[in-house]
Amino acid sequence: MQFKFLPTFLLILIASILGCSDDDGGTTITTNEFTAIIDNISDNVIIATYADLDAKADVLLSALSALKADQTAQTLEAARQAWRDARRPWELSEGFLYGPVDTKGLDPAMDSWPVNVTDLENVLNSNNNLTVDYVDGLDGTLRGFHTIEYLLFGEDGTKLVTDFTVRQFEYLGACGESLKLTTAKLYEGWIPSGGNFVKNFKEAGTGTAASVYPSQKAVIEEIVNGIVGIADEVANGKINEPFAQQNLALEESRFSANSKADFADNIRSIRNIWFGVYENAAGKGIADLIFDKDAVLDAKVRSQIDAAIAAIEGIEGTFTSAVFNSPSTVQAAQQAVRDLLATLQGEVLPVVSNL
Amino acid sequence: MKSTLSLLCLLLVFLSCKNEDEPLPTISDEEIKAGGATTVFGTFSTLFEQPAANLNATEDSLHRAGNVAFEGTFVTAPAVVNPGLGPYFNHTSCAACHGKNGRSPFPDTGDDLGGLLLRISIPGAGSHGEPLAVPGYGGQLQQRAIYDTQPEAAVIFDFVETLRELSGGEQVMLRKPVFSLQNPNNGPLPNDLLISPRMAPPVIGLGLLEAIAESDILSFSDENDVDGDGISGKPNYAFDLQKQQIALGRFGWKAAQPSLYQQTAAAFVNDMGVTSPLFPAESCEGQPGCDDTADDPEITASTLLAAAFYSQSLGVPARRNVEAEQVRKGQVLFQKAGCDGCHRPSFTTAQHPEGHAFLSNQTIFPYTDLLLHDMGEGLADHRPDHLADGREWRTPPLWGIGLTPIISGHSDFLHDGRARSLLEAVLWHGGEAEASRQAVEQMSKKDRAALVAFLESL
Repeated sequence: MQFKFLPTFLLILIASILGCSDDDGGTTITTNEFTAIIDNISDNVIIATYADLDAKADVLLSALSALKADQTAQTLEAARQAWRDARRPWELSEGFLYGPVDTKGLDPAMDSWPVNVTDLENVLNSNNNLTVDYVDGLDGTLRGFHTIEYLLFGEDGTKLVTDFTVRQFEYLGACGESLKLTTAKLYEGWIPSGGNFVKNFKEAGTGTAASVYPSQKAVIEEIVNGIVGIADEVANGKINEPFAQQNLALEESRFSANSKADFADNIRSIRNIWFGVYENAAGKGIADLIFDKDAVLDAKVRSQIDAAIAAIEGIEGTFTSAVFNSPSTVQAAQQAVRDLLATLQGEVLPVVSNL
Repeated sequence: MKSTLSLLCLLLVFLSCKNEDEPLPTISDEEIKAGGATTVFGTFSTLFEQPAANLNATEDSLHRAGNVAFEGTFVTAPAVVNPGLGPYFNHTSCAACHGKNGRSPFPDTGDDLGGLLLRISIPGAGSHGEPLAVPGYGGQLQQRAIYDTQPEAAVIFDFVETLRELSGGEQVMLRKPVFSLQNPNNGPLPNDLLISPRMAPPVIGLGLLEAIAESDILSFSDENDVDGDGISGKPNYAFDLQKQQIALGRFGWKAAQPSLYQQTAAAFVNDMGVTSPLFPAESCEGQPGCDDTADDPEITASTLLAAAFYSQSLGVPARRNVEAEQVRKGQVLFQKAGCDGCHRPSFTTAQHPEGHAFLSNQTIFPYTDLLLHDMGEGLADHRPDHLADGREWRTPPLWGIGLTPIISGHSDFLHDGRARSLLEAVLWHGGEAEASRQAVEQMSKKDRAALVAFLESL
């Protein structure tokens, strides 16, 4: 008996046993690169953004309580600034509108638009006790960012502290509590000690996570489609609707004149995912993946992100005024975002699909 | 020696993968592209929101307008944007129930039903076979209302649980929700009130189903089970408001809607209280608390058309994981168990009735026959709906079903969302599907897992 073929035989035996697994859950691409990108984006971008949102919602709640307790021009301005500061991480999160924010109905609880002004007036004119429980039982169009915005800034941003009613201060306080509860749910929905949605990202393709994301590639697809989605929304929804229809009522954050900041922060949301950064935290992002495949493409995306933010910030005056008074600057911003969208959709997505 | 050993190796490679007598078929490219040329690819949560892959620029632009209409949140009139909500409603936008165009989850509480609604009626039928409205409440319960209107009633539910034992000792606890109404605000509810709970289904592929030739659907109809296979297959017919005649029903859990235009308009008026040119009167007309504002229709014909077009022009997701042996085996088991007797794998579409070329002449794999079947006592709602009796349901399409966890964040299935997994959904099948369900119950655990893996690949 010759044994020289035994190793070959054993190898084939092992290979044939391994190849017969009935548990073939699909193409699980497991590389250190993917793991590093997914882990970093999960912890240092997504969860970090939600932690910041929750913290800023807490500051907003305090500011609304302070306004209710001491109604002055200063406390009103502090509350308005707290609203802008809380709005920012929300807009920075719109590049990843998947997971609990969507499936747990948290987006409509925080960001429903338009405000149901008719019923808001009815509620304010009623004798109902304006508690957080009461407000949470109302539709999303009667609470969240835009309802708070409407009450804090008024129709055109000229509201004075003397224009408020006692009921409005009370309602703002309840809305602040409702928002804070929702941002906490969102943050907790992701973290391991809470709803642990992050597990579906980090353990993609294995165990229970596989029923949601069958592979790490699916997570990367999710992440990239998330930034494609917000680029599309900014260019073809948020800017286009009021601009193409020449109807300022269709501008989302018009009460606060915060639209330019909203749009720019949405593009920064793309940037954060691309670079894998949030404030001081930094690590691997989608850029690292694309750079390896096509360094020119990575550079193109980087410059288009910068160009889009610059063009949005270059809209003359407020977005509201620019729609009629400086349409060319609005057009330029829309085009810059469309250019970024075209690259993400037409060049980046195909790279991801072929991973 | 060398050649013997090589032969042995070769034999081993073949034998070791064999646990079936016959070789497993491969899944063809045509099957993978389940929506024909409309098919979209990938595994991510916005896949059901992708437009059909074969839209031209004009169609793409109408699709985008439809997307705005589908996502638009309605508020109480008067308002500068999207007025017309209510006075009674289930939800405030299409997308609020069909989140990411997927299926809604079973609700946590009766206080917030999400995408679940209750159709209600009293025994009997109207002139076109439609269910009889409940006096004071209509044909659908709206458990929400605008500020100065009392909701029609509150909804509560409880579960009845049953334990099923499958071959090999595997046990599955099934739950059946039982709904009841409390605090009726529009007069006493009748003692013979009929309730049919309905979950919001996915929105994908509907235009393709609309493009299937009526004769192709009717060819599978076997109302009196002449062929003796235990499966009847019965077409439903309802009044088509555009054509002003009775027409084959295709959409909804009981196939009581003949077209997507009508389905969309019915959803606007019944689910949101938003009137349109097709339904210019509020669904609550004649009820106490119904609004008498002269603002109807509350959406224009172009908004309605765009929203209907949106539901026609979404892409159908491609099959995934099709090389996996388990999936291919599951596909064979699906056929062997006779599931394809109702969940017909394939059709080739004809000309779309509205002439949309991108939907016409496509080979598609929806896994439905669009016909009604007796599904047994367990699933019965005991509420007739046109020609569907209280035990009959339309075979729902299965394409995209495996994406439910990633798109909708849950795995709740069936008309009332009672099943918490695909296996539970299968185990609820009875009536004409009795033999198929028994076949699944008697499978080895491994085969059942393969069947589920196949469903997950759809």
